[in-house]
Amino acid sequence: MESSITLTVTGMICAACVAHVEKALKNLSGVTQAKVNLATGRVVVEYDSQKTAVSDMVKAITDVGFQVFERADAQSELDREQKAREEEIRKQRRNMWLTWPLGLVAMIGTMRHMWGLDKIIPAFMADNYFLMVITTPVIVFGGWQFFVHSWRGLRRGVTDMNLLYATGIGASYLIAVINTLWPEAGFGGRHATFYEAAALLTAFIILGRYLEALTRGRTSEAIRKLMSLKPKVARVIRDDRELELPADEVDIGDLIIVRPGESIPVDGTVTDGYSAVDESMITGESIPVEKKEGDGVIGGTINKTGTFKFKATKVGKDTALAQIISLVETAQASKAPIQKLADFVAGHFIMGVHILSLIVFFFWFFVGYDIWFMPESRFLLSTGMLGAIGVFGFSMLLSLTVLVISCPCALGLATPSAMMAGSGKGAENGILFKGAEAIETTAKLDTIIFDKTGTLTRGEPSVTDVSPAGEWNPDDLLHLAAVAEKNSEHPLGEAIVNGAREKGFEVEDADSFEAIPGHGIAAQVKGRQLLLGNRRLMQTRNIDFTGHLAKVEYLESMGKTVMFMAVDGSFAGLIAVADTLKESSVEAIRHLRYTGIRVGMLTGDNRRTAEAIASQAGIDYVVAEVLPEDKADEIIRLQQQGHKVAMVGDGINDAPALAQADVGIAIGGGTDVAKETGDIILIRGDLRDVVSAIEVGRATMNKVKQNLWWAFGYNLLGIPIAAGILYPFTGWLVSPQLAGLFMALSSFSVTMNTLTLRGFVPTLKKQYAA
Amino acid sequence: MSSESRIARISAAWYLAVSGGLALIFFFITTFNNYPAVARYGGAIWVFILTMIITMPIVIPLVKKKYE
Repeated sequence: MESSITLTVTGMICAACVAHVEKALKNLSGVTQAKVNLATGRVVVEYDSQKTAVSDMVKAITDVGFQVFERADAQSELDREQKAREEEIRKQRRNMWLTWPLGLVAMIGTMRHMWGLDKIIPAFMADNYFLMVITTPVIVFGGWQFFVHSWRGLRRGVTDMNLLYATGIGASYLIAVINTLWPEAGFGGRHATFYEAAALLTAFIILGRYLEALTRGRTSEAIRKLMSLKPKVARVIRDDRELELPADEVDIGDLIIVRPGESIPVDGTVTDGYSAVDESMITGESIPVEKKEGDGVIGGTINKTGTFKFKATKVGKDTALAQIISLVETAQASKAPIQKLADFVAGHFIMGVHILSLIVFFFWFFVGYDIWFMPESRFLLSTGMLGAIGVFGFSMLLSLTVLVISCPCALGLATPSAMMAGSGKGAENGILFKGAEAIETTAKLDTIIFDKTGTLTRGEPSVTDVSPAGEWNPDDLLHLAAVAEKNSEHPLGEAIVNGAREKGFEVEDADSFEAIPGHGIAAQVKGRQLLLGNRRLMQTRNIDFTGHLAKVEYLESMGKTVMFMAVDGSFAGLIAVADTLKESSVEAIRHLRYTGIRVGMLTGDNRRTAEAIASQAGIDYVVAEVLPEDKADEIIRLQQQGHKVAMVGDGINDAPALAQADVGIAIGGGTDVAKETGDIILIRGDLRDVVSAIEVGRATMNKVKQNLWWAFGYNLLGIPIAAGILYPFTGWLVSPQLAGLFMALSSFSVTMNTLTLRGFVPTLKKQYAA
Repeated sequence: MSSESRIARISAAWYLAVSGGLALIFFFITTFNNYPAVARYGGAIWVFILTMIITMPIVIPLVKKKYE
């Protein structure tokens, strides 16, 4: 039976670890998919529960040297992650207090022979035995963690970043000790001990670990912010008494009272009262939304002005907030296709670097040293000359600098850290990406197809035109029509009543009302006989409207439904009703077209109505009168032309097209089917969020690309320089400690670059804020 | 002997043999070019360490696969 489980793995530090865990899981029979996210430590495993058990997975991961837990709820996971991060920060801070002062003392001691510093720095500080004494605790206490981790891994046949650190630190320390105890051994003698290299290398690596621990947690801030919205208490009315209960104990159907300034504890429907609610934290909408009887409220939002009561409709895991948290979590745990290359490279990186290190050693030992070595040459940013260093010392230094400078951490973090920040940024703006793939594909979109009804339009008719005849004025005509239609259950009648109310008219009861099936209604209002309905109603009652036919045709050509009205046997005018565009639609489409995206509309509606709506919205590509299954075919046709297509829809009939599209964008207020099928959910149902979703996708992918360029570029540039490729031409050599600094800065800079995404604001939101 | 320690022993035999072999080859080659003793011995040790690090993650999973 196909099952899925999310595990939390601790102890992974680089992309090589990711590869080991994925490989260990995929080697189990029954595991069909294993995706590891380095940034979150989350592992999503799809497996056949009849062939393998969770305990097998736990054993497989433990066998390759990592700790594993079954994933708890989001809050516990955050707590555990935070605790582990704080522990790591504490540990590395403690190590820094040891390694940095001693490393700096070692550096000052080593510099005594330079620039006349011998007048300031006491002689004992430059003594090799003194340097050995102060460097040894740095290696033993600060660097020990790397030796232990790498040995544990090696015993299981696993290599990771710790091994690079351990070989780098160990070898440079060993050379220094040999040069101190046996100066004639040929490693450069007493003046080439490089204690400061071993000490500062350790200090820099620890600094890198410290900075990484500080910054890594910040990329999961979106989840933390969402979790903090969860209200703790609810005022529930039970047996006519107001009780303050934990929000988790609210049941469906409970009546809850919310006062100004309080958080709404769960989702529900207002039963009594009126207020304005700040929903910005969930929907990104900055203006408070008015709530009255019958309106829905979302748990986690904040009541601003009035007091109201509501009935709980969704509690616990079913609330919108809980589902948003779950979606963002899933998105952050998923893996983007662009990550595959980085994963492949990083998975083979450590071994590749060791092979390269061996080749570098052979090259400089057998060829390079004799041809190019110059005793007066020095390390970059250092004044000390290499002097009498022998062939072995020189070759080994270059060989170990290659190990130290290489950094798969940056490669491993480049994509997942940006994806986490991107999906968090989306959630902040009311856009839920269901996975990293959705973000990646959104950035590539060139065509967006909208469903019409309920997506571009409001999905319900409203009065668009009132065209009176004779001496009637539009307001009187609409008011009278609304009174006549007050008891009608027909959607067109409701549109007229709503239209009159929106204009501020009080809609009284009619004296009498009669529905005429297929024609309209007849009513008596304030002693006057009213007829309101279609053309046939007028014809059967012999009411002449021929003078208004041109107007009728014009309105119908705009896709509107025209209603005819007669009062006391005479034609009184026309009322046109249509499904109107949402305010956001025109602006969204204008922006999409401005950014070079082709915009189209698919609808099952008739061509005339479709074209009328399309022209109002500014859409030139329209496919009308299509069946739901044909909508998917239309998407396929566009894809076959090489387009990357997104479908935006809200209904069950849109589901096939949403599934077929490269990115399905479901409107938050739409059906559950649409939301389940879509790759992106717009919480507000505001089409301007389609523009924002594309901008967030593009900004995220820009960050991913920048990070990957940096990570690959750093390694591609740094490793050859460390291997001495420039030495024959420029005499430049990178010291192990400088390599350590570069390595620490590379993964730090990737994380910092990702964090700049926190300042990103979608264009339209920026415009409204301005 | 448990299967795990058997695998560890067989693996160790393989990667130590390969690493030792390459270190010996290095040592043998360096006899022809008047390299100082420290370079020959130190170099052989460095070659041994790096080769062991390279071969361990290759050999252990292969042996595991064969004997498990």
